[in-house]
This record gives sequence, structure tokens and C-alpha cells, in this order.
Amino acid sequence: MPDQENVSRRKFLTVLGVTGAGTAALSGCSTSKVEKLIPYLVQDEDQVPGIPTWYASTCTECAAGCGIHVKTREARAIKLEGNPEHPVNAGTLCHRGQAALQGLYNPGRTKGPMVREGSAWKALEWEDALGRLATRVSSAAGKVAVISGAGPGTLSDLLAEWTTALGGRLVRYEPFDRTPERAANRQVFGVDEVAWYDFAGARHIVSFGADFLETWGPVVEQQRGFAVAHGFAGQGMAKLVYAGPRMNLTGMNADEWHPIAPGSESALALGMANVILSERTTAPADANALSGALAAWSPEQVANTTGLTPDTVRRMAREFISATPSLAVAGGIGAQHRGAIDVAAAVNILNYVAGNVGQTVKLGAGLPSSDGFGAMEQLIAAMSAGQIEVLLIHDANPLYALPRTTQFAEALAKVPFKVSTSLVLDETAAASDLLLPSHHPLERWDDLRPRAGVRGLMQPVMTPVFNTRHPGDVLLQAAAKAGGALARFTAPSFEAHLKQQWGAQPGADPGDAWRSALARGGAYAPAPAARPVQLAAEAAASVTAPAFDGDGEFVLLPFPSSMYSDGRGANRPWLLENPDPVTKITWGSWIELHPETARRLDVRDGEVLTVRSPHGTVAAPVYVYAGVRQDVVAMPLGLGHTEYGDYAKGVGVNVLDLLGGKDGKGFLPYVSVKVDLEKTSEFRKLGRTDGNPRQLGRHIAEAMPLADARKGMTVEESLKQMGEEHHEINTELEHEALAGFRDKQVEKQKLGAYAEEHPRWGMVIDLAKCTGCSSCVTACYSENNIPWVGYENVTRGREMSWMRIERYFEGGTEPGEPFGARVVPMLCQHCENAPCEPVCPVYASYHTADGLNGQVYNRCVGTRYCSNNCPYKVRYFNWFPFAKKAFESPLDLQLNPEVTVRARGVMEKCTFCVQRIRGAQHQARLEDRGIRDGDVVTACQQACPSGAIVFGNVADPGSRVAQAKENHRGYHVLEEINVRSSVTYLARVLHRTEA
Amino acid sequence: MAAKTVPGVLASFAHVDAAVEAISGLKARGFRDLTVYTASPNHEIEEVLDQPVSWVRLFTLIGGLTGVTAGFAMTIWMSNDWPLLVGGKPIAAIPPYVVLAFELTILYGSLCTVAGMIILSLVKSLKGRPFHPRFSDDLIGVFVPCSADQTPAVRELLTTAGSEEVTVHGA
Amino acid sequence: MTAIVHQPHHPTQTHAEVTRDVLATLSTPSRAYYMALFGAVAMFLIGLFTFVMLLKEGLGLAGYTPPVMWSVYITTFVFWIGIGHAGTLISAILFLFRSPWRTAVYRSTEAMTVFAVMTAALFPIIHIGRQWIFYWLLPYPNERWLWPNFKSPLIWDVFAITTYFTVSTTFLIVGLVPDVAAVRDKVSGWRKTIYKLFSLGWTGADSQWRHYSRGYLYLAALATPLVLSVHSVVSWDFAMSIIPGWHGTIFAPYFVAGAIYSGIGMVLTLLIPLRRVLKLEHMLTEYHFDNLAKLTLLTGSILFYAYAMEYFVAWYSGNTFEQTTFWRRAFGPMWWAGWSMIICNAFVSQLLWFRKIRTNLTSLFIISIFVNLGMWFERFVIIASSLSNDYLPYAWQTPAVTWADWGILIGSFGWFGMYFLLFARTFPVVAIQEIKEMIPYPRKHGGGH
Repeated sequence: MPDQENVSRRKFLTVLGVTGAGTAALSGCSTSKVEKLIPYLVQDEDQVPGIPTWYASTCTECAAGCGIHVKTREARAIKLEGNPEHPVNAGTLCHRGQAALQGLYNPGRTKGPMVREGSAWKALEWEDALGRLATRVSSAAGKVAVISGAGPGTLSDLLAEWTTALGGRLVRYEPFDRTPERAANRQVFGVDEVAWYDFAGARHIVSFGADFLETWGPVVEQQRGFAVAHGFAGQGMAKLVYAGPRMNLTGMNADEWHPIAPGSESALALGMANVILSERTTAPADANALSGALAAWSPEQVANTTGLTPDTVRRMAREFISATPSLAVAGGIGAQHRGAIDVAAAVNILNYVAGNVGQTVKLGAGLPSSDGFGAMEQLIAAMSAGQIEVLLIHDANPLYALPRTTQFAEALAKVPFKVSTSLVLDETAAASDLLLPSHHPLERWDDLRPRAGVRGLMQPVMTPVFNTRHPGDVLLQAAAKAGGALARFTAPSFEAHLKQQWGAQPGADPGDAWRSALARGGAYAPAPAARPVQLAAEAAASVTAPAFDGDGEFVLLPFPSSMYSDGRGANRPWLLENPDPVTKITWGSWIELHPETARRLDVRDGEVLTVRSPHGTVAAPVYVYAGVRQDVVAMPLGLGHTEYGDYAKGVGVNVLDLLGGKDGKGFLPYVSVKVDLEKTSEFRKLGRTDGNPRQLGRHIAEAMPLADARKGMTVEESLKQMGEEHHEINTELEHEALAGFRDKQVEKQKLGAYAEEHPRWGMVIDLAKCTGCSSCVTACYSENNIPWVGYENVTRGREMSWMRIERYFEGGTEPGEPFGARVVPMLCQHCENAPCEPVCPVYASYHTADGLNGQVYNRCVGTRYCSNNCPYKVRYFNWFPFAKKAFESPLDLQLNPEVTVRARGVMEKCTFCVQRIRGAQHQARLEDRGIRDGDVVTACQQACPSGAIVFGNVADPGSRVAQAKENHRGYHVLEEINVRSSVTYLARVLHRTEA
Repeated sequence: MAAKTVPGVLASFAHVDAAVEAISGLKARGFRDLTVYTASPNHEIEEVLDQPVSWVRLFTLIGGLTGVTAGFAMTIWMSNDWPLLVGGKPIAAIPPYVVLAFELTILYGSLCTVAGMIILSLVKSLKGRPFHPRFSDDLIGVFVPCSADQTPAVRELLTTAGSEEVTVHGA
Repeated sequence: MTAIVHQPHHPTQTHAEVTRDVLATLSTPSRAYYMALFGAVAMFLIGLFTFVMLLKEGLGLAGYTPPVMWSVYITTFVFWIGIGHAGTLISAILFLFRSPWRTAVYRSTEAMTVFAVMTAALFPIIHIGRQWIFYWLLPYPNERWLWPNFKSPLIWDVFAITTYFTVSTTFLIVGLVPDVAAVRDKVSGWRKTIYKLFSLGWTGADSQWRHYSRGYLYLAALATPLVLSVHSVVSWDFAMSIIPGWHGTIFAPYFVAGAIYSGIGMVLTLLIPLRRVLKLEHMLTEYHFDNLAKLTLLTGSILFYAYAMEYFVAWYSGNTFEQTTFWRRAFGPMWWAGWSMIICNAFVSQLLWFRKIRTNLTSLFIISIFVNLGMWFERFVIIASSLSNDYLPYAWQTPAVTWADWGILIGSFGWFGMYFLLFARTFPVVAIQEIKEMIPYPRKHGGGH
């Protein structure tokens, strides 16, 4: 699509132009990194066109604070990858982190400072805009408040000082913070902070509703740890038990899922603790003090509240204690009911009783936590009382993220002057008076302290796309203009301020420290030793069953989506089109109903229901899902924006409209209402990407019991043992014939370009590690310029995801049968006997000498026969000029120059990141050496937090991939049709208790 | 009619046996170069004229052979001209190429046949020989090229055979 | 169009009457004819508009739903190719078999063949993603010396169809020459000049007949295996793939039978009204329709057997993929298509066992409509339904049918009808010379036979 390229190039040059002007006009502060920006006239020696430049920075998409490497080409960021040196994510990155690029290049971003005039917005000059802010704050006489979602770092410190200097108040607000856990730690251990959990070290994990693989805590780090603990390395593996009313991604990966009643988590935890204490003599001395208090939680008692059998409770407890160090976790929005603190406290007790505290549960890591909902409630009160003159909102969207019932909108209306630094015109920004759009984190200096000993640094990797300004500079310049109380902020620019902050750090020559920090993406000290803690006296506080508003039939379970998070992901097509890992639904909200409930109400998938709570109503299509309890309806959070750019606007519904904020205890109880369902006459096709959610005995996603895996059995043998013959299509004779055919092929292939020695690229995917989190999908989109296609086309099955995670449900069909799911990442298998190749009339699909299944876009005429003949259905067709829409300016700046943007009417598919393979080969040639194992890392492999994907040269027996292919768990999907796939899957291992 | 007409006698018959009788009579008299017009092929007339079998089949044969050769030659050469591996199959795979060879056999075969029909029909020029529209309708026409002195005898013969109408075409 | 008078197998008219009656069909046509022609052109324009939209917006306008990458367009393509088979079958194969009843009908069916193939040939172009470079499928020398992949059944298709089109067109023209001459000798004025041109100087001299008859025989001999091969090749577009429901050895004979079945069906649909409009009642008699009906019955029964076999093999193979495909064909989301195919083809055709039904034009016409419907659905089921559920259940989707699909479908009928009507108006739809061949010339001794 040549015009596509032209557009992007032209756009790119204009951006440079703007910058040049901007630099001149703005005394170079906001673009202080100008020495890093390369106008083509003056070429910087560390900037070679065609060679990517990498910058180390820090991800701000959630509180985890992962380190990232930003790949830039010709001074524009084109891909985000994990920073291997960073202790949190150690080189990998989740889909939300990678999608930050679409935040950077989002067409919905505010182009420059603006002021509200009536209902319209008027563009301003920065000087003017800052002047207005300055006059207002100086005249506000302390009646200033700041709402900030920025993580702990120099900027938020500056913000705090700035606010205090004005005598105002700062509320650090994150919708998905971990207040209840903090409160529980205070209550049980007397430590006012969130604990850090060592998943890698755990030998048995029980999660009480905590979705640690998807949305709760530092997910990437936890995934990595979980892969270590739960992945099968030859001998043992940790067992994961998940107890919660809904099977989320963590539940999907659990070896056991117990759908306990919402609110009964604490009972279960205390019940287990009770069993442990009563059966075990060697519990910590002070723990025994609890036995009296815990005696009330007998297995029978617990069984009543949870809906489990007493024996199950006992068994869970025994397994928990028999494999130490074990780990119990609780928390997360999906389980945040009014008893959330009790749950966390109960789990703390359980961990303590099992002796995990200090082992797998580490306090003293100083994980950040915001001021919480309580502080926000106070601020709202102050606002409605008219005690706030000027409200500055930075990096937060409370108007969206707070339920209507909190009256935030009304309170906001009472504030005379509201300033927003939001990048995008989100709900809150749209309701404010002055917009001072801030740089995207990739465009600015800043740092982040996600935990003790970790200081991630952010540096501008490119010229700002729009006429935005660094919030820090905004504060400093406003201070300079306002003077008075703010006169003491003298730093010339935030960059200077930051450098000075870092220089002030203890350590060797600050210059060196700074340089190494820039290079390494921050300064990392080893995590502090776990602080020893004592059980507080009032630990076993009385646990009360959480209350629910309303007398509806179902408990509403709003759960955070791993794509949209607290709503900030909703304007990124990469996330909107990356299917939810559990339900595989894109582009919209849905209501999860248990099949039984659906049958009773007589509703089908896609039927729109009205959900009515005491506080409001929303309407969304039904998704019948056996992974929720019958007395529960679950809905994803983060959608239903009324502002926040064209991509987000009008997609789905905002479940918060159903919630009531009241209750105290300092956090927002998400699971706190009971709802009724009403049928409507409407029908809305769900944007589902799964055609049929069952395997139908086709052995696509294989799994074997731990016992068999230990014995080193192959999938075949294991199945035999379970009495399930793997269906064999070919007869003995046919097998001989196939073998002969194979030899014939091999000799016939020794011809022309195919004759000499070549590597043979292959891949191994370990299903025991893969959790189905879908980071690889976004990685593939960003590496390979894959266009998103939008709701309409997704409903027609036209999504282009070269890498897709196939999710197959298991069991749950007849009562009593456990319900579960398996996942298979499905990508082009680069078959040796690729069925797609011979059917192409023009050789657009052919086999390269190094075993790749090549696709020549320019030659493709679009007969689509290859796709028909592809048994894995991994070929994707450009039904429309998808790229034109998907890469509308300025999103086109993100395009990877190494990869063709496909035109309309051609077929495309996974290439094993051929551009990376060739790149590595060229590099090897430059260095006059052969390809080394690990030279080529595909995008999906690079992103995978669990390290489930191994790629390399199969022809080299020493390579990791070649060895992995030897693994006894290895199998090929659809082996019986003899296409000789190059992707080997290692069967998942199930740690089930043989009843 | 063309400027230069062939001298002779043209007779038209309504009855096929009459025509046959006339033709055999003429042949007995040594007239070889007859032209018999019929609206559709008629085996009685074919018999009495009894001409050797048409050469058309030779054209068909040659065409067919060219086709099959061309078919295999093209496919095999083109595959090897830019050898690409697809689906682990040999570069020049004969079985699929049989299909193309077959199609080309038929194509060349039939085109050559038509060419043969046209060429062979043109071999004997009908220029200057008289024709009557009703010959394509319901009458049988017999034209006997003959010199002026033979004319009376021929006319006599044709009339006795039962010709409806006999006309003389002079030089 | 109800019951027709029984007539002896051989026409009783004289040569002169034959010429007269056939030429009568070329006289100024009725109002009905113009209405039909107008309708056809209108439908063609709808198709044209749709195609322009496809070029402008992209193939996505049609109801394609991956994994169903081929849907209505390829279905209609195979449908028309199939129809294109009756003609050559009747004109060539029955010619070799010397079955007398073909003479009256073969001209019209041959014309139908040519136009059906012309219609079908459009679809490979319409359905590809980048229509403007369809010629890349042809082995023409280009600047990079890139050749097509002769291993691909699609290339076989290209060759088979071009060959079939060329040969059947030649066959039609060759057959026409003597008749055009006959027309030439009857008409006058500018029409005469035109027909004279097309008659290629035909006079019916023995020297011409001699080569003509031979050549015609060889053409028939060549066309016969061609007919059988073309639809076999088309069937291999599917059979050569690995899709359950496509990958079957039964496909070639199964498709050929289906093609003839659909072809005869279309012949009936066309001839029954045509006979009325062109007043050919005494040339196209019960005798002909009875035979056509029998052929329909035969091929219909072969289809019945083929369907049964497909299901049997699917069950007997024990191959779970095959089994699922065929189960879903009957009871899956596209059951309606599956059953229309079986009812229209396997069952309805069995009604033709009854002579009464065979010889009643109304019932025959209705059945022929069912045949056309059924055969379109057969292809739709084989193509779309098989694709919609193959190996990986996760990828399964059910195709949609949008206005773009309808537009092209309608357009194809318009395009076909347009040509057929113009032909029927311009050339003798009944082979004058071959009919005459069957009528003995009068004899003076004991006239007639």
C-alpha cells in the first residue's frame, strides 16, 4: 500500500517540523531531549537511518512499574519490549504495556492546551494557558486540590510539594488499588503496606479470588513466578487451587477450581487455618493462640457458607500444609466485596499458620498503594461543600472510574476552576475548564518507584507527537509565574529537577550513576530482606458475611478486564480487538450467565438483557458461561466510556453505573449489589472469536496427569493409560507409505537453492507454562503491522490475529463434572508438507530453503485457496483495505518499517518474524560467524511472561528448541493429517488429586 | 456469380433416387468433376459419388500430438525455469501435469480439425459453379461441367433421370 | 404448456416445411420476447453495479466469513459450469451414440452451454481479491519470468475452462454454418449480407459435406472426453484439498453426473417456454422431453447414490473430521441448505419414474426449477458448509449471504439470459440440416418410404 507509506512519511516530517518550531519557541524545556532528536539535516552519530535505536524506560500502564526497552526507528517509537535487567518483569511485557504505543499515537489525543468557552473548546498558547493556571492557583488561597494517579516518583513528589506549598490537598487515586490488603496487613501484622508474594518459591498455591495472572498485582512478575512454580520441569510442580465464584484466567489455569459463594472466601481461609492448627502440632507458637478463635470455623461450618463439602475443606488444608512453602493469596477487584479486608486478614492468618510469612509472603517490599477511596470520599465532600477553588487532575479519570452514586460529578460541578493534564479528552477532562495536555510517558522525563530498591527511569524517546507539555514543567513554570508560596520551585525544568534528584542519591559519581541509570532504565538494588512480623493480638477479628445492596436475584460480579483495566485501555484498538483471555469476546461488554440460569430465563448468547440494581441499570448481551455460579452474574469493567476518544466512545457499558459507593472501610466495594435481569427484544452478536468452544475429542490441547508426566510418558501413552485411544486415521500400511513418501520428498528437495545446508526454523510451545494471557497477541500485532478490523468484521470472523490463543472448555457438561479450560496458542505451523503451498496458482505461497512457509504479498492475487486448505486456519485475508483504517494518522507512525503493510485483497499470516530472522542472519554475516542459538527471538517469544515459547534452528542439535522438541510431552496438533508442522506443543500437566 | 463462369449444365432434383440415377449415369459417361448440392448429407448420394475418406483425421491426429507434447513441455520447463518447493512436492510433478497435457491435446486437436475442414474444403474451388438457393432448402442440385458440344447429351440424360429443371451455363 | 399431443419420433414435415418453420422463429419477435430481454439486461446491470462496488470497496462486501473463504461466488461458478455440460453432452456424446432425439434440441442446448461457460468464466475473476491482476494465472512471459504453479488445481481449472469454452464455441459455430447458409438463401436485404458473411461461403456441395461430416465426427469425439474432464477438474478444485467433505475420490464422477443433471434441468427450464414462444411445438415433442426427463432421472439417481455414498463413507471411515462435517451438513447451522440439496436432487428427481409426470410439461417445468435450485444448493453445501467446520473447532464460523452475493448471482442470470435470448432471435435454435438428414428425400418410384 504505497500511499499508506507516503502518508506516514509526510506525517513524520511534519512532526519533525512542529518540533523544530516548538523547540525554538519553547526555550527547549518540554522537548529538552532535543539532543536525542535527529532532524535528518544534522545526523547524530548514534542515529543511523535503518538501524533501530533502543531506549530504556519504564511502563506506566499499571502500578507494577515494569521496565521497558523502546525500539525507535528514525526517531519514532515502533515497539515496546521488556527490559531484561528490570527486577519486576525481567525482559517481558504484558499486552497493556505494549499497547502504550497506541496511547502515544492515539488519534484521540488532545493536540494542545485548550480552555473551555461555554460548551466549546478554544485553543491556547502555552504561555497564556500557564498564565491562567498561575493566576487561579495564586488567588485560590489554599483552596486547591490535586487528584493524581501517578505512581510514586519524582513527579508525584513534586506534585505533593507543590500542593502542600499552596496549602492544598493531594489525593493519590488509583481505581484498582489494594487498600483492603493493606488494611488487613495493618490489622494482622501491624504493617501498613502491601505484601510481596514469591510465586516462584511456592510449592502449593491457593488463590481466594485473587486473579494474579490477569489483573491483580505485578501480573508479569507473578506470571513469571507462576511459570517457574507451576510449569512442569521434569519432576514436581506446584498445584494451584482457585476458590472464587467466577473462573477467571487464574481459575482457568488452576488445577482445581472451587466455585464458592461470593463473600465466603474468608470462611474458607479460616476454616483451612483451623484444620491446620487442629491437625498440626508444630505451628508457630503465637499462632496456636488463635486456635480458640478459629475453632468456630469447623469444616462443617465452612462447608455451609462456601457450598463445599467438609472433606474438600480438610483436603485443601492438608494439601496446603503438606507442600511447604505454600502460598495463599487474596485480593483484587473481582473479589472486592464489603468483607474484602476480612478475606485478606483471614488469608494472612492462613499463611501465618502454615508458616509462609517470610517465606513466600514478604512484607517490607514497600509496594505502593494509593490513598484509597476513603480519601477520595473526603475530597468529594469538600468539593461539594465548596471548599475547593482549583482542582488539578493528573493521570486520573475519576469521573469515569467512580460510581455515579459517589456524587463526584455533582461535586466536580461545584468546583469553579478545573484543570486536567490528561493526554486524551477523557470524561473528567471534558468536564474541566482548562486542558494542559501532558506528554505521553514515552515523550517525557520521569521516574517511578514501584517498590523498595527499584527506581525505574523514564526518558523521552522521541519528539512529542502533539503540542503537549511535561506536567512537571507545567508545575514549575506555573510556579514561576505565580510566585508567592510557589516561589521556592526554582528548577529551570523538570529534567533538571529530576537529574538533581538522582544526583542527590547516595552512591558514586552521580554522572556515572545517571548514565548507567539511563542505560539500564533505572537503578535496581536487591529487594530488602523480608521484615519479620508478629501476629497482632486482634488478628482473628470477627468475620461478618459481607452485605449486598438490594434484594435482586443475582450477585453482580464486576471483574476487571485484563485488556481495559480500570478503563484506560478502552481507547486502544490492540486491546479492544485482543479477545478477553477467558471469554474470547472483543469490542464490547457482556453479561456472563451460568447455562442453568440461562436455561431458566430462556436466553441465548447475544440476547440483550437489562441489568437492574438499586443504583442503576445497564443493558448488554448475554454470554452463557459455565464458569460462573448460578447465583452470580459477572460483567467486565473498563468499558462504556462517554468520552475518551472515538475508539472508546460507545463501546460496551460501564458496570460502575450499577454500583453504590457507600460503606466506609476506606475502599470501593465492587461486589456489593444484587441485581435483577430483564429480557429485552434486542439481540447483539457478541464479538466472539471462538467458533466452537469445545475440542470434540480432536486432541488439539493435550494434557496429562502429573503422575504420567513424572513417569516420562508421551501423550499417547498417557491417553492409553486413561483408556482413551488417540484416534488414528492412518492404517499401518498408510504409515509405511507416508514414511516412504517422506524419504522421496527429502531427496527431491535436494535441488537448486534448497540443496545447500540451511537452518530449519522451528518452535516449541509449552502448554504447561502458557496461561493464555495473550501478551503474545499484542506483541505480534505491533511487530508485524497487523491491522485491527473492528466489531463488524470480527463478528464475521475476519480478525487478523496471526497469533491467536485458542481456548477450549473441558467438562462441566453434566452436574458434578469439574469445569475447566485449556489454551493453545495457534499460529502458522510452517508445515513441511504445507497444504497451502501447492494450491496457490501463482506461487505466492511457497517453501523457503530454511523451512519457512513463505507468503509473497506482492504476488498474491487473492484466490484464498491456501486458507481453505490450511487445516490450522491461520491465514488471514484483507477483505477491505484494513490497514488504511487501522493505521490512520498518527497511528501510522508506529508501523514497523521492516514489515510490509498489506494491501487489500491479499492473504497474510505468521512469518515466524522473518524480518528478525533475516536481521539476525545479516548481523551474523557482518560478524562473520554462523547463527547462534538465541540470535533470533520472535515477537511472541520475546513478550511471553511465562517463557512458554522457544524458537530456534531445529537443524542445530544443540539448540534449545531442538532439545525441547525431544521432550516426551511433545506432540503436534493434527499430526494425523501428515502436514509435518514445525511447531511442537508440550502437553499441559494437570496436578489433580486422584479421588 | 463470379466473372469467369465454369461452362456446364445445372440440374435440380426433387427426388433423391432421380438424382442418384443421374449421377451414376453421368459417371458411367465418364463425367468425374461433378458438384452435388444437398441441404443435408445424404448417404445414397455419398455412395454413388463414392469419394475417398476425408484427410481431416490427419489434422486431428497432428493437432492432438502437438497438444500433448506442448502440454508436458510447457509445464515441466516452466516449473524448472524457476524451481520453487511447494508442499514438499517434486519441482516437476508429472501427475498434475497430465491434466494440462490432456486439456491441450483436446484444444489443439479440435482447432486443427476445424482448420482441416476449412482448408480441405477450399482445396476444390467452387468458383464459377452455379448454385441455386433452393439447394439449401429442399432440392438436390447436380452441376456437370462440360463443353458446349457435350451439353445436349448431358441435358438429355438429366431430364430422363427426372430432373425438375435443367439450365445450361455457357462460357 | 399442458399435455402435448403424441407424435411419432421422426418429424413428418417436408424439407421445405422444416426450413419455413425454423426460419419463422427468426421473424419479428413477440412482446414477451422483448420483456424477457429487458429483464435480462436489467439483471445484468445489477450485477455490473455490484462488481463495481466490489472493485471499489473490497470483497468484504460479500458475506465471506472465514474460514469460509469461498462462498456464493464459487458456488455460482460451479453451478454455471455444470449447466454448461448438458449441451456438449447432448450434441457430442449423443451424436456418437446416434440417438435420434438429440437433433431437435442440441442446437439450443449447445448455445446454452457456450453462454453458461461464458457466465462461469466471469466468476474466477470476480471472486479473487485483486481482480485487476487475474491474468497472473495465465502462463504469459512477463518481465520476471514468473510462471503459474501448474500443481494448483486452480490452474488446471483455467486450462480446462478455456479449452472447454473454445471447443464448445467452435462446435456450435461449425454446426451452425449449413443452417446459416439455409437462412442466407431465404432472407433478403441487409440480413442476407450478414448471414452470407457467417455462412463462410457454404453451398452444401458434396466436396464440402465430405470434410464437414468427418470433421464434425472428430470434433464430437474430442468433445466427449472433454465434457467428462472439465467437470472432473472442477471437482478436483475441491477433491485435491484436505478439507473434510471435499477430499473425496468419488468427486469426479459425482460432479460430472451432477453437472449433467443440472444441465438437463436448465435445458428443460429454457426449452419448455421457448417451445411456446417460438411455436416449435411440432418439432420439440413429448418424445424429446420424455428423453430429457429420463436423462434427468438417470443422473438424479446417480446423485442420490453419491449422496448416500458420501454419508456412508464418512461413517465407515471412522474419521471423526469427516463424520462431524457430514453430521453438521444435515443437523448443523446450515441444515437448511443440506436438506434442500437432498430433497431437490435426490428425491424430487425420483418423481420422473412416472411417465405421466415425464410427459406433462407443467410438472416437468416445475421439477426442472427444483433441479436448478437443488444443484445450486448442492454446490453451496459442498463449498460453504464443508469449509465452515473443518479441523479446528475454534475457527468454525457460519457464513452470511449479503446483498453483494445476491447482486452477482442475479447479474450472472441476466448476463446468461441476455446472450441466450439474442441467440434464439438471430440463429436457428433447431438444427435445420440435421432434421432434414432424418427426413428422407421424396422418391419418384413409390415416393417416400
